[in-house]
Amino acid sequence: MAYNRSMPTSILATKLFIPPPRPSAVPRPRLLTHLSAGLHGKLTLISAPAGFGKTTLLSAWVAGCGRPVAWLSLDTADADPSRFLVYLIAALQTVAPALGDGLLAALQSSQPPQPDAAAAALVNMIAAMPHDSVLVLDDYHAIAAQPVDRTLRFLLEHLPPALHLVIATRQDPPLPLARLRARGQLTELRAADLRFTPAEAAGFLNQSMGLDLSAEAISALERRTEGWIAGLQLAALSMRGSSDTGGFIRSFTGSHRFVMDYLVEEVLHQLPEHVQAFLLRTAILGRLCGPLCDAVARVPAAPGQETLAWLERANLFLVPLDDERRWYRYHHLFADLLRQQLRQRAAAPQGGAEADEAELHARASAWYEDTGLELEAFRHAAAANDVARAARLIAGGGMPLHFRGAVAPVLGWLASLPQRTLDAHPALWVTYASALSMTGQVDSVEAKLQAAEAALPDPEADDTARNLVGHIAALRAFLAATQNQVEPIIAQSRRALEYLHPDNLAVRTATIWKLGIAYRLQGDRAAAARSFREAAALSQESGNTLIAIWASIGLGQVQELDLQLHLAGETYRRVLDLGGDLPGPAASDAHLGLARISYHWGDLDAAERHGCQGRDLARQMESIDTSLPAMLLLARVHLARGDVGGAAARLAEAEQFMRRNDFLSWAPEIAEARVLTLLRQGDHAAAAALAQTYDLPQSQARVLLAQGDPAAALATLEPWRDHVEARGWADERLRAMVLQALALHAHGDGAGALGLLGEALALAEPDGCVRLFVDEGPPMTLLLRRLKDGGGMMGEHLHRLLRAFGAQHDAPASPAAHPLIEPLSEREREILGLIVAGLANQQIADQLTISLNTVLYHTKNIYGKLGVNRRPLAIARARELNLM
Amino acid sequence: MNYHIRIEGHLDLQWADWFDGLLITHEASGDTLLSGPVVDQAALYGLLCKVRDLGITLISVARVELGQGDESC
Repeated sequence: MAYNRSMPTSILATKLFIPPPRPSAVPRPRLLTHLSAGLHGKLTLISAPAGFGKTTLLSAWVAGCGRPVAWLSLDTADADPSRFLVYLIAALQTVAPALGDGLLAALQSSQPPQPDAAAAALVNMIAAMPHDSVLVLDDYHAIAAQPVDRTLRFLLEHLPPALHLVIATRQDPPLPLARLRARGQLTELRAADLRFTPAEAAGFLNQSMGLDLSAEAISALERRTEGWIAGLQLAALSMRGSSDTGGFIRSFTGSHRFVMDYLVEEVLHQLPEHVQAFLLRTAILGRLCGPLCDAVARVPAAPGQETLAWLERANLFLVPLDDERRWYRYHHLFADLLRQQLRQRAAAPQGGAEADEAELHARASAWYEDTGLELEAFRHAAAANDVARAARLIAGGGMPLHFRGAVAPVLGWLASLPQRTLDAHPALWVTYASALSMTGQVDSVEAKLQAAEAALPDPEADDTARNLVGHIAALRAFLAATQNQVEPIIAQSRRALEYLHPDNLAVRTATIWKLGIAYRLQGDRAAAARSFREAAALSQESGNTLIAIWASIGLGQVQELDLQLHLAGETYRRVLDLGGDLPGPAASDAHLGLARISYHWGDLDAAERHGCQGRDLARQMESIDTSLPAMLLLARVHLARGDVGGAAARLAEAEQFMRRNDFLSWAPEIAEARVLTLLRQGDHAAAAALAQTYDLPQSQARVLLAQGDPAAALATLEPWRDHVEARGWADERLRAMVLQALALHAHGDGAGALGLLGEALALAEPDGCVRLFVDEGPPMTLLLRRLKDGGGMMGEHLHRLLRAFGAQHDAPASPAAHPLIEPLSEREREILGLIVAGLANQQIADQLTISLNTVLYHTKNIYGKLGVNRRPLAIARARELNLM
Repeated sequence: MNYHIRIEGHLDLQWADWFDGLLITHEASGDTLLSGPVVDQAALYGLLCKVRDLGITLISVARVELGQGDESC
């Protein structure tokens, strides 16, 4: 996908870096064996407090585990399901390139899919991974928060066997651990397993750290630290610089002080002043590189790059984050202790020698901004409590930070600010409202907008003020759109476009798109098409792919209604190209549009294929109504194939779905389709009642024709045709004309009927509408034959229609005779047989001596061909179609 | 609401700030008592996370009524 100005906040590759095993680390064969044995299960959990060597152990294990490993180091910023998924995909891409590219882009956009839907899509992608792999989530405790836990639970529950999950954490994650344990799917290492045994402690102190301690001294240290590795490491560092190790051990083991307090002070005092200053000042950084340290620490005697290299060699809790030794971080525990020391020294009365934290954060923010890492720059500005700076960084260069996948940190910061601070920066109120609207917290938006207006003294003061007023109006248009209130959408959008700065393309394009939706709701298709076209062009120009996609969907739908079927098809295909393998509702809408176009053209197989794709994509989303038009389209396909029962079943399903989800605006369209089915079933009374209830003129005319009252049908159709012609609704007009022709014919006005039909054919010819005629059945065949015999000019399309009618007659009457669009392969038939026989996937794999992945691959295809998504349904369908 | 959080080892008094101003008392047993008002449950969990993140061994947490002595937890 092309991104320029809407470039999502960048992915930090350092979070995906697998820490290299330390050459000097103590070998721990018993733990490595335990970890490797765990690969047969789903999950490995390494749960122990800070400083127990979890990461070190894992890095040693993954280096030799024999599988590709994806690694993700989590931090508190990832406690947002969308961001968590973004990094999860980025990590998986290190072992399966291009996995989920489209999903990744969607998640980083201003309209990310629901986490559940994205997680479901991700599970499918993992199932298709070519190799069995391992995914390590390090520091999971950093993001332990309900929404992320939910996503993780879902992933674990549906985790395909191709992926083994390893979680390293300081606290047990809220997963069903007892159940996994009972099923033998969980391997655990806990503090008791990780702490150094006396032998390991001896190896660590004397070999890794190069000391020469007696067995007695080692055992004293081991007891005092209880095998806690961080403690032993600090103790070793303290002793390395000291000539009196005996004295150190006596006073350390004799002290009650918290091990870390004691040791950090010892270690710091061993270091030269300038290194101490460097450590304390850079402790505020989540990650470190030479130039950043130089900018923040400003210790001339300790140049960043060299000092970092020195700290790493000295084993001073510095963890490399890439292969080039460019980025590092401190061990989290060590960083916490350093920050505490920094605060103490800054607060000391004689002090002032140490820079205060806010100043250090401000320096970090400036460096990150110069480097173009705006999210990091924003974070440090927020930590420095520099509101103006943070606000400027959120605004970004035309594309606000929260439009680029960083809603959670922006919202978190805004929520932490006192009201008077927000009042002093009205733009922050508007940002607040905008971020809330993006996270679905619609009810809280209006209050923030009013606060913004109250804080904005003069709306006409300058360009900035005017732009804010425009943004406020745009958000009100958004609020109106959530309620389908057409007039307010239009009024607020026009105000927004009048006030917004011409360069504010992000908000302008979203507003123009919304205007298109309002026009379409009003029935003004020409105006809607104009807005959609403008929004699509502008957003593509500014690189806002998501708006480009949505505006194109809107445009395609209007073109479809105007019977510009070729153009609409091109538009929908462009949407699919733009979106890649985007699982979003847009792809669902595009497939659905293509399904309706194929239906128009009489290609029922293609219509069914696209319809099923659209429906399946829509089902991945919560609370969207795209499933409904998909069910309607599929019902039409059933009806066209003569399967009236199948159509009725689909419609019943659609109606149930509509009521359950409160999508009541779909009721008239469902009723219209039900009228067709009822008429085919001969239930005129029910059809008449339905057409009456929903006030559907076309359906009423259809019922009247079926009841043998063409005069009444004509009386209904005439005003309806005037109505739709006045509005320029091409599709409704053509439908009305076709019905009128039939009614005239039934009324005895053969010449009038043929004349009208000729006109309708002329309108239908350019874009090849077939089903609009063929759906009318035998009376239409009769009329078309007459027209042909009369030697009309519409030779080509007329012949096409008659051929379509011929095919219709030859076509099998019931779907059972032609059960599957794509027949099952020999292998698939074999596997389906075993599924019906009740074998589990692993048993099938064993029986056929193929891998489990291969079985899963085949079952997925089988389900696809059977049009089901679960095993019991597949079995039912196989029996129903007599496939066995 | 007042809480007593007992942890293992003598924690330096300067940590009071880190633990949101709780009073730090060293006990003869070698443990440390953090005591004082904690506004709500969320704040309490925040404090416990800090204990966790420093690798300190947590011994007990108890809610105490104001004016009560240091009853065992």
